Amino acid sequence: MAISLETIMEKIQCASYDDWVKNFALNLTNIWNESSAAELTPTNSKTKLKSAIVIGRGPSVKKKGHLEMLAKSNFDGAIICCDGALINTLKAGVTPEKFPNFYVVSIDPYSPAMKFYDDKIVDQYGDKIKGIFSIIVKPTTVENARKSGIKIHWLHSLFDYEEGKKSFNQISALMVRAKNHSDGLPAIQTGGNVGTSSWFIAWRILKCPTVALIGINHGWNEDDPWEKIISHGSNFVKTDVVDRKSATFQKLFKKIHNPDFNCNCIVDPLFQFYSSALKEFIVRSPEWLTTINATEGGSIFGDKIIGMSFDSFLGKYH
Amino acid sequence: MKTNFKKETKESSDNLTKYEESKDTANDVSPEEFEDFILKSGAKGSFMIYRSKKKDDELGIDTL
Repeated sequence: MAISLETIMEKIQCASYDDWVKNFALNLTNIWNESSAAELTPTNSKTKLKSAIVIGRGPSVKKKGHLEMLAKSNFDGAIICCDGALINTLKAGVTPEKFPNFYVVSIDPYSPAMKFYDDKIVDQYGDKIKGIFSIIVKPTTVENARKSGIKIHWLHSLFDYEEGKKSFNQISALMVRAKNHSDGLPAIQTGGNVGTSSWFIAWRILKCPTVALIGINHGWNEDDPWEKIISHGSNFVKTDVVDRKSATFQKLFKKIHNPDFNCNCIVDPLFQFYSSALKEFIVRSPEWLTTINATEGGSIFGDKIIGMSFDSFLGKYH
Repeated sequence: MKTNFKKETKESSDNLTKYEESKDTANDVSPEEFEDFILKSGAKGSFMIYRSKKKDDELGIDTL
């Protein structure tokens, strides 16, 4: 089943393949002249951080006041902010001045992501933020980040490496290596979204042995408006394409129980796709990694996932 | 995908949908239903998942 949904998503995503190639072509000169995400990997135990917090923009962040709690804490690990959560995170007082190990991640190759860097507060703190960008991110998105002073670090997002020398992943890697990056760039599994990408970056690139998640609901609260749930929180998704009283609707928008936090959440089709993949990758992650879901809601629970309140996490892992 | 439904105890925000208690997979969305919704709604998402015969590669590659 999971594979079938992945095949469908692959087909839908690959319809934009031409845009990805175009994005890469327009990014290439900057890629050559800017840093590899590999530079962010600690080179010795003194610079290695013990823990990271991945911040998504799921509904529980606001509901539970997690950003305000974090702003008041003395957490000294890495803050890895999904691009869509950046502006609210900074506005809540979680800034790189207070948390110097502050990263933002973009993997989305499409235009809407550019607005995530278009705010005065990003300009205010940009020069203290380390940005991690896929080589196929829309150039206008990267340019907005660059203008704000964010230092760009590049990586590959894997999608067709398996297909060999003629794959885009391998051809683009050869082109990147042609100038300044003779050692290449790291290549990550995105899991299809920036939240899962950020979790991978936390342990694969930053080598943090403990990774906590907040705002990674991969689902909606029961009291979220249906329009928001059906549209996946987007302004671009049509909400009138399925009869809300039909059995299909109930399957598309499942209500599931999260036993870790004893709450229900509604998982839309995209989150069904994303959450099953993230949970699979957490199960397959190395033994030295601890993944703590401090989101206090949502659909991420199960094997190798420790559910814990964010307050408890901050008390235990500051 | 395994699910763990609980009986609905309060009505949803706009009172349009109630869920039945179920623990089997019969209520999982089919690939056809999934694709139909995604295509009609335009709910595209951000990117795709990478799969490989080399399972370790699916967790990332240090340098490419």
